[in-house]
Amino acid sequence: MKKTDHHRILRALNYYLVFFLLVSFVITCCMMLFLSTLSESLKVTFTDAHLNTAARLTFGNVLLLSFLFTIFDMIRRKYTVSQPVKKITNAAQKIMQGDFSVRIEKINGVYGEENFNPIIDCFNKMAEELSGTETLRTDFIANVSHELKTPLAIMQNYGTMLQQPDLPEEKRILYAKSVTETCRRLASLITNVLKLNKLENQQLFPSANKYNLSEQLCQCLLQFEDVWEKKKIDISTEIEDDIQISSDAELLELVWNNLLSNAFKFTENGGTVSVSLTADKKDAVVSISDTGCGMSPEVGAHIFEKFYQGDTSHATQGNGLGLALVRRVVDIMQGEIGVESIKGKGSTFTVRIRRNHHEGLENNC
Amino acid sequence: MFQILVVEDDRELNRTVCTFLNQSGYQATGCLNAEEAYDAMYEKMFDLIVSDVMMPGIDGFEFAKTVRSLNEEIPILFMTARDDFASKQRGYRVGIDDYMVKPIDLDELFLRIGALLRRAKIAASRQLIVGHFKMDADEHTAYLNDEEIPMTNREFSLLYKLLSYPKKTFTRTQLMDEFWEADTSSGPRTVDVYMTKLRSKLSECKDFEIVTVHGLGYKAVLK
Repeated sequence: MKKTDHHRILRALNYYLVFFLLVSFVITCCMMLFLSTLSESLKVTFTDAHLNTAARLTFGNVLLLSFLFTIFDMIRRKYTVSQPVKKITNAAQKIMQGDFSVRIEKINGVYGEENFNPIIDCFNKMAEELSGTETLRTDFIANVSHELKTPLAIMQNYGTMLQQPDLPEEKRILYAKSVTETCRRLASLITNVLKLNKLENQQLFPSANKYNLSEQLCQCLLQFEDVWEKKKIDISTEIEDDIQISSDAELLELVWNNLLSNAFKFTENGGTVSVSLTADKKDAVVSISDTGCGMSPEVGAHIFEKFYQGDTSHATQGNGLGLALVRRVVDIMQGEIGVESIKGKGSTFTVRIRRNHHEGLENNC
Repeated sequence: MFQILVVEDDRELNRTVCTFLNQSGYQATGCLNAEEAYDAMYEKMFDLIVSDVMMPGIDGFEFAKTVRSLNEEIPILFMTARDDFASKQRGYRVGIDDYMVKPIDLDELFLRIGALLRRAKIAASRQLIVGHFKMDADEHTAYLNDEEIPMTNREFSLLYKLLSYPKKTFTRTQLMDEFWEADTSSGPRTVDVYMTKLRSKLSECKDFEIVTVHGLGYKAVLK
């Protein structure tokens, strides 16, 4: 408290000095001009005695005026500067403490309009954004912990059940299989969460290398050979040969793998999965269709959201992160992704990406 | 019996992998770090190495590099939690043969070890035998029931590749990149011509079949 008092006095003295110098300068100039003009036109000369008294009086006047100015200025400052600054500081402190609900009222008057209101606008927007991300973050954590705990609970239960003595052989195998299957699910969930996290923090643009997109699609598709043989799914491909693009191969592979794995997952035995690739000078368009269960437009509007699963009966096969990953990658690449689906008939996902990533960016800038 | 060296610093994982491999008909030796592995390799000959990457002291990359400098043939399989392309690339650069991301599927590990050992055997003997069909990589000749089947060099290489990785599908571009010069003017469909020729030459052979996979590529299927 003492220290602030000390500071206040120093600050007041400082203001006073400034005003003193200013007033002295102005009055000196005025007096000199006034007196010299006066003495010339009236042809009067001033004696030292005259000047002495006048100078003393004027000096006293200067001291008094400076003092008045200082007081007036301090009061003005208090209302137009200190109070708004204090308001903003208090709000900032609240945000520092984690209260993102705080908003600052606008300040009336010329000063507010000119200087503080833009800052206040920015501040309020910032607080709004922060509270938005905070909600997202808590939602995400809630979702992740739910998704993590479910498989853990399943494993724990089967583990307990496996400890029963005299468990029939077929039950033992069944339980053990469920534990393995659940582990696999958990592992893929964790991998996806980590990948998504990495992609969401990705500030830099992905590295771009020229490579053969047709070949990449073929190789991604071939990874599902076992699946289509097992489910007797027919494959139809219309992939233009030798389409070269300049982009991040590793990230795009994530897109194709996720879309293909969905297509194969939702297609019933004996169905068809089609992959097509066409390209013009600027863009490459990949579409992946299946003859699976399809989805309603309401479901279609949400499928790219994290942890959204349209059909809960398939919940055991996925974790609701695949398409969120796909969307994120396509966003990073500044591409487009769309879905057309008819319930009961199947879905078609179409991805449009620039053939030359960096060229595209330059055009955008 | 094949001897397999398992280098993994997590005791529990090391034990389960070793137990599984022993149950599957291999003889596995577990080591907790690279130092121990060097000692084990000094005492015994191994046919294959399964190694972790992130280990205290000498890491997997360093270990694989040292092993490769001493033995060019032995298959090395990495099992690691790192699934980014950069570490895969680094692994293959130091000379590993295969890469699996943790948590690994033991059944898949078994299949991959089988395939690696098979290829190591082909590479060592320079001979590939499928039933009555035999290919000799040194002479570049193929025999069916001890009767030579005339083949061009490229036909031989294509078939040798397909048969070294049975059931794996190769895309036309993959085959083109490997067996045609980079500046070739012929498109990927040229491969189709070669496959047709190979099929007619091997029409008598009932031990395997060259299968076209949905216009994507080709694979050899053993019968």
